[in-house]
Amino acid sequence: MPSLSYSTASRIAARELRASRGKFVFVILSVAIGVAALTGVRGFSSSFRSMLLLRARSIMAADLAARTTRQPTPLEQAGVDKITAAGNEETQVVELLSMASSTASLDPLLVSLKAVDPAKYPFYGEVNLAPAMPLSQALTPSTVAVGDDLLLRLHLQVGDSIKLGTRVYRIAASVVEEPDRLSGSFAAGPRVLLSNEALADSGLLAPGSRASRRFLFKLPPPKPGTASSDEAVAALKTQLEAALPEAQVTDYREANPGLTKGLDGATGLLSLMSLVALVLGAVGVAMAMRAHLQQRLDSIAIMKSLGASSGQIMKIYLLQTLLLGLGGGLLGVVLGIGVQLAFPLFLAKLLHITPDFRLDPRSYAIGLGAGLLTTLLFTLPPLLDIRGVRPILILRRAVEVSDDPFSTRLLRKLQGSAAQLGAIALILAGLTFLAARVSDSRQIGGFFAGGLVLVLLVLLAMSALTLYLLRFFLNRTRLHLPSAVRHGLANLYRPGNPSAALLAALGLGVMQIVTVYIAQRAVVEQMQTSTSAKLPNIFLIDIANDEVAGVRALLAQQPNIRGTPEIVPVVSSRLLAIDGVPASQLKLQHMPRRMLQSLNLTWPPTDEPPPGDKVIRGEWWTAAQAAASAKHPLVAVERLEADRLGISPGQQITFAAQDAEFTATVAAVYEPDSLHAFSRGEFVLPQPALAGLPVVWYGGVHCDPGATSQLQRALYKSYPTITVINVAATLETVRQVILQITYVIQFLSGFSIFAGIVILASSIAGTRYRRIREVVVLKTLGATRPRIAAIFSIEFAVLGLVAGFVGLIFANILARLILLHVLHFDYRFQPWMTLGAWLLTAALTVAAGWLASHRILGQKPLEVLREE
Amino acid sequence: MIVVDSLRKSLRTGSTTVDILKGIDFTIERGEFAAIMGASGSGKSTLLGLLAGLDNPTSGNVHLNGTAISYLPEDKLAQLRGKTIGFVFQSYQLIPTLTALENVLLPYELNDDSGNRKAGLDRARQLLESVGLTARLDHYPVQLSGGEQQRVALARAFVLKPPIVLADEPTGNLDTTNGQHILELLLQLNHAEGTTLVLVTHDPALAAHATRVITLRDGLVVGDAAQTPSTAHL
Repeated sequence: MPSLSYSTASRIAARELRASRGKFVFVILSVAIGVAALTGVRGFSSSFRSMLLLRARSIMAADLAARTTRQPTPLEQAGVDKITAAGNEETQVVELLSMASSTASLDPLLVSLKAVDPAKYPFYGEVNLAPAMPLSQALTPSTVAVGDDLLLRLHLQVGDSIKLGTRVYRIAASVVEEPDRLSGSFAAGPRVLLSNEALADSGLLAPGSRASRRFLFKLPPPKPGTASSDEAVAALKTQLEAALPEAQVTDYREANPGLTKGLDGATGLLSLMSLVALVLGAVGVAMAMRAHLQQRLDSIAIMKSLGASSGQIMKIYLLQTLLLGLGGGLLGVVLGIGVQLAFPLFLAKLLHITPDFRLDPRSYAIGLGAGLLTTLLFTLPPLLDIRGVRPILILRRAVEVSDDPFSTRLLRKLQGSAAQLGAIALILAGLTFLAARVSDSRQIGGFFAGGLVLVLLVLLAMSALTLYLLRFFLNRTRLHLPSAVRHGLANLYRPGNPSAALLAALGLGVMQIVTVYIAQRAVVEQMQTSTSAKLPNIFLIDIANDEVAGVRALLAQQPNIRGTPEIVPVVSSRLLAIDGVPASQLKLQHMPRRMLQSLNLTWPPTDEPPPGDKVIRGEWWTAAQAAASAKHPLVAVERLEADRLGISPGQQITFAAQDAEFTATVAAVYEPDSLHAFSRGEFVLPQPALAGLPVVWYGGVHCDPGATSQLQRALYKSYPTITVINVAATLETVRQVILQITYVIQFLSGFSIFAGIVILASSIAGTRYRRIREVVVLKTLGATRPRIAAIFSIEFAVLGLVAGFVGLIFANILARLILLHVLHFDYRFQPWMTLGAWLLTAALTVAAGWLASHRILGQKPLEVLREE
Repeated sequence: MIVVDSLRKSLRTGSTTVDILKGIDFTIERGEFAAIMGASGSGKSTLLGLLAGLDNPTSGNVHLNGTAISYLPEDKLAQLRGKTIGFVFQSYQLIPTLTALENVLLPYELNDDSGNRKAGLDRARQLLESVGLTARLDHYPVQLSGGEQQRVALARAFVLKPPIVLADEPTGNLDTTNGQHILELLLQLNHAEGTTLVLVTHDPALAAHATRVITLRDGLVVGDAAQTPSTAHL
């Protein structure tokens, strides 16, 4: 058989496209929207995330920090030098307690010194001073910057002098904001910021002094203005832990778990949205191409009767598909760039930031490739159907009714569909490949692709089952139902009708859209809770036992306090042994042994975990166990501490506080959110276990950021020995970042959802061609337009209700899996939202069907019949 | 009674205008059996469609039992059609998602005001029995042969006992045997119900059974003669 040349095939393909321009707009739009959502979401989110990741690093002022209690040994220093030689920047921050006094009165005051290299520190974020000036100008060998509370207590002003150690320093400025205040030590005493040189001159840094050192590291950025990847940070962390085995090495992500959880959640969600956009686009293409080929059956039958082979005909439609995929993909890339440009404009007011716009050719190539690949893949099954078209179709549309048993028919169908099944396997393999490339979270990508197989199979089965049940129901009740209902329902199935495919496609679309909605809503809600304006932004250190009641009363009277102040008891303790192994022999992971000498024990306000703490291993104690803990103490250990000490639930820790010793069994390991005052205690025990031990109290309150000075003065007036640490400015940074993340997530998910709805609507619209003839016949028989509208509305509504039902079940299952196991957020079933979504699906299906079909109602019957 | 008054119909396709009907006038009395004949492209099917109000003429009007129908609003036309006209298409035009019984019942459900479904069902069954399809009541159109589908369409056309039945080449898609059978049924039903029957055909043998033949050529009536209907077996 002579083969059809590509030029002839292209000519026929192009001619058909020209003749049916309107119809193919749907196909091209489906591809374009899918690709646009994919490239736009990815492009915007990657530039937004880079910017956010830079801001997140300001909480630590570095990519990594290594905390030690002594100078590195020569060997350790060599390890650090090797790291800096590889292009990483390093600077030291030294913190220690000391006494300071004003030159006027010489009354001593305990202060918290922090010495930095102003030329390098901070690597991220800024130190804000009043009056505003560069840090290197404020921190010279003879000048320092101090906290407001020091000026208050020593009755000083900027420009006055203080004595530190053996030297006198002029106060050049007051410290308004230190970016890494939350990451530093929460020691008692007002802040004094000075240069390393000034500290060295003061004589305070003698050998054996109890200074803690933080080595801050910054990796070289891959491109100016971008952050280094998490993989690079993790690799450097491993190197640092090897170079400084006794140091506590933390990366920027651990500095603020709430923030990094938010970023991870956003990353995961955005990956999910990209994948959903891709698959929805593919669904739209599949439905549109299927509808198109259905209408081409006559042409195909004619071509076959004229001698064309299936292969030759498939060539024509394959070329057509390629043209459509390419056209849609290119349009999609252009739209995606537009989306990337437009998003910041839309969000500028909310975000107060403008991420850099960067053309990302690789991203566009992936988007275009994904669009083309999914178009081809999803068009394969209907294309393969061409092989089964027989020329007799021109004369007669017949369905063969067989009396063979179901199993025989199924087997025969499977045997005949070997190529189809192969095509479906190819589709799934292709999607898996794409999901892995497109998704920045491999876990989500793998999850999604793997889950898609199962979901598709179940959806198809459920759709077939539903239609079977519908037919069963109709056969029993047929003639007792109102005719419009019967007619509408009957339209959903008939021999040879692809309703099952449409139901599956709609169900899949609903599932994906609702999954995105549930997931983003959960993430956003929980992130907003974590930045609640009631969380503490002022911390009070060293509240004496007899001052607690008074402090509570004072705080209650302050007008600018929001929420309930957190007043937390802390018992200072030493760790003597774990499971009988003395502290001196314990194997510690990156923790100076000296730190075992000063641990913070606390008890919770109730028998539940304290606010902000989440149990991740073991179980919290019951009220009965708490009551019995004086005799059988239990303890819950903070996660990082548990990792460093190698502790798990069930082990025994022996503590000593003053002269008392006791052994507690580890009941649970918990993760703090580092946002509450309760986060300060690393070991939580029930109160009876700590009864009688000396207690000092810590407090955390939320004060309106503009009124913090007023609160500080009020506290100092009544309780001059209490240290006040103001992190309002830093927390505001965290809050702003998290809010920005939530806005972006909501916006992008809204866009993806909108894109998905458009695609599904076009799939429904693709079925309108078979309605035209039906409308004409009904009109001829005397049906008015409202009557016809009722019939089709019932059909659309039932389609939407069934697809919605199936889709919503799977959406909740998938959302639960993704939230709990991938994004590590909580999942809660929302019955009202689900019900609303179900009804909305039916309403939108009816609306989509009518948007595409309403003109048919107005058509004159003879116009259509003339075409017969 | 059907009165056609100066009926014209033109169609625009692109930049050209095609005059399909160029001024048609005739009257068909109640109870008559008229055949409209003409070669392919003479305008027969368009004329029949205009008689049923399936389209608007370019000018002129059609009166059915005294009511001018050509420019009525669509829904009013539909209601009028439902109660007044039974239509038999050349390509059957059954609703594919309804069974044979439901297709025949459909005009009843669309147009009957009595609410008596049982009466409708009985009528539909009786009609299907009279066209020999008792065993096919629950079959879908796609499971029926062409001849069987046209018999269902016939039954559907008569279910409401319309005063007027219009048939557009009802045997055009059928083989000779089936075509003969269909015409016999059509004539039987027509005699039994006493309707006015207008039949479009290009087949003189079919037209011979009519009491009047209207001939169209190039959009105009070129012949309109009464005749004695043939009683010869088809």
